[in-house]
Amino acid sequence: MLGVKFGQKEYVLTILKITEDEVYRSPRLKHNYPWFSNPEHVEERLSKQVKLKKDEKAIIEIAKGVFRQHVVENAANYKTPPSPVDCYILAFGQVRPAIVVTDDLSMHQLAKEFGLDKQVWHGHELLHKMLSGKYIDKQLVSDIYDALENNGDLPKSWRNVKHTAFKKIFGPQKET
Amino acid sequence: MRKFINADALQRALEQKGWTQAKLADEVGVSSQSVTNWVQGEGFPRPAALLKLATSLRLSFDELVNTETQSLPIVAFRKKGSAKTTDAHIKKACEIGMLLKPLVPFLPEMHALRTLITSPSTDYNKLQLAVSQTRSRLGIGDNAVLHYEQLIGEFSENGAILVPVLWGAKGNHENAMHIRLPEEDVTFIFVNLDTHAEDFKFWMAHELAHVFTPELAGKTKGEDFADAFAGALLFPQSCAELAYTELSRKRTTNAEIDILRRYAHTHSISLNTVFQQVREFAKNTGLPFLKIDETAIHKVRNKFSGPLVSEALFDPLPPTPKQYIANAENVFRSDFFFALKQMIVKRGTEAGYLQQVLDLSIGDAIAMREDLLS
Repeated sequence: MLGVKFGQKEYVLTILKITEDEVYRSPRLKHNYPWFSNPEHVEERLSKQVKLKKDEKAIIEIAKGVFRQHVVENAANYKTPPSPVDCYILAFGQVRPAIVVTDDLSMHQLAKEFGLDKQVWHGHELLHKMLSGKYIDKQLVSDIYDALENNGDLPKSWRNVKHTAFKKIFGPQKET
Repeated sequence: MRKFINADALQRALEQKGWTQAKLADEVGVSSQSVTNWVQGEGFPRPAALLKLATSLRLSFDELVNTETQSLPIVAFRKKGSAKTTDAHIKKACEIGMLLKPLVPFLPEMHALRTLITSPSTDYNKLQLAVSQTRSRLGIGDNAVLHYEQLIGEFSENGAILVPVLWGAKGNHENAMHIRLPEEDVTFIFVNLDTHAEDFKFWMAHELAHVFTPELAGKTKGEDFADAFAGALLFPQSCAELAYTELSRKRTTNAEIDILRRYAHTHSISLNTVFQQVREFAKNTGLPFLKIDETAIHKVRNKFSGPLVSEALFDPLPPTPKQYIANAENVFRSDFFFALKQMIVKRGTEAGYLQQVLDLSIGDAIAMREDLLS
């Protein structure tokens, strides 16, 4: 699914190398998501990675530094202060027209504080965009929701929109 | 935290780009008056404008912004042997310091009356006086063996929070990290328990010296004093004199090493500390020095390293989060985890915070958070 254009705006999915490195550095993430190391997936991710020019790398580092400084100066405002890696990912949007997809609410908060909230989506927003662009079908959306619910990993933001954004799949919210 | 745009850096960057302030204002999306105000030190850009300013001018935050230093953390490291301190180490420690600021309100009330060494000096006699008075405060005589447990109480009495950590015996840059928050008047001292016991005591004494001399924090003079103080506190003049008297009767270097090792073992300190203190004693009393030299001492020292503090405290390793936290609270009398728990309960602080301030893996941070909440 990486590197394929979808939707009117021709979005393309990519995984930044820094995210890849983060997973490999964490035994817990590696353990929880063993499929991430599947050679087929690794090859696909590596072949679709974005190549950055020297000047772009320099701008990303500058932007990352500004984000990170803002985070540490305002640490009390975050439940989880966005990490240097989070700041790098957000900074990527300063050199390429990019949308960051994350369910980390602190990342959304940081983006909002810089007026960049439109550049950060929740995972369910991506799912919705892919569905309306006919890049995925209803069954896959349903399967993803089921898997997340079964693992106890369904983010609150996903739960909140289950019966609104995906009403055609899951129906309206049942009254309790 | 008061911040100002570094007008000189901004002007240089404009010249380099051939831009006027009006052009810059246009790029950033603000009025020319705003840029003029920033240059004159009146007002500070909002986050979005600051980001645009930095990326447009290709200036890092540190180049573009001047921050009043009293609100910034002061950091110092007790490095591992040949480890080199880089800007990245300092930056990371400063960030941890900034992240610790929100924890401070959750710490129990600090002692307002603190011990200060008002004229810290590495002069032998002045140092011995400071050491003698410190030992007296701790309730031990000049010849007595000083245990690190006796030092621990001094930290909390003097506004310093000990944070024992398990950062590994190899690969990590520092064995102790000292972060002073001047505005909050609190010092956090991270001590790596994966350290040989004989070195650990020296670092604890070294850190205590920093606590007694806050005005020297982050300065070379402060490091020199802390090293001199630590050695003298662990093996003061009267101990050095006893050792010297014995050593002076020996004819060979091997016999000297045996005596130095015996003293090191008795005091649970490194051979090098005993050697250095005896040498200082001889130098300051005009006596001839020993036959043995520093190179030989280091060879012997490397051969007879003792167990790690973590091995002595936790058996088996690694400890569970519960054991680790209980140890920090009971052995090191640390209020760190008490404050962390309060912060988690009252603010909903998540594992990512613990991961960043304690430099843990996310797995350990999650386990520790769960334990603090249990």
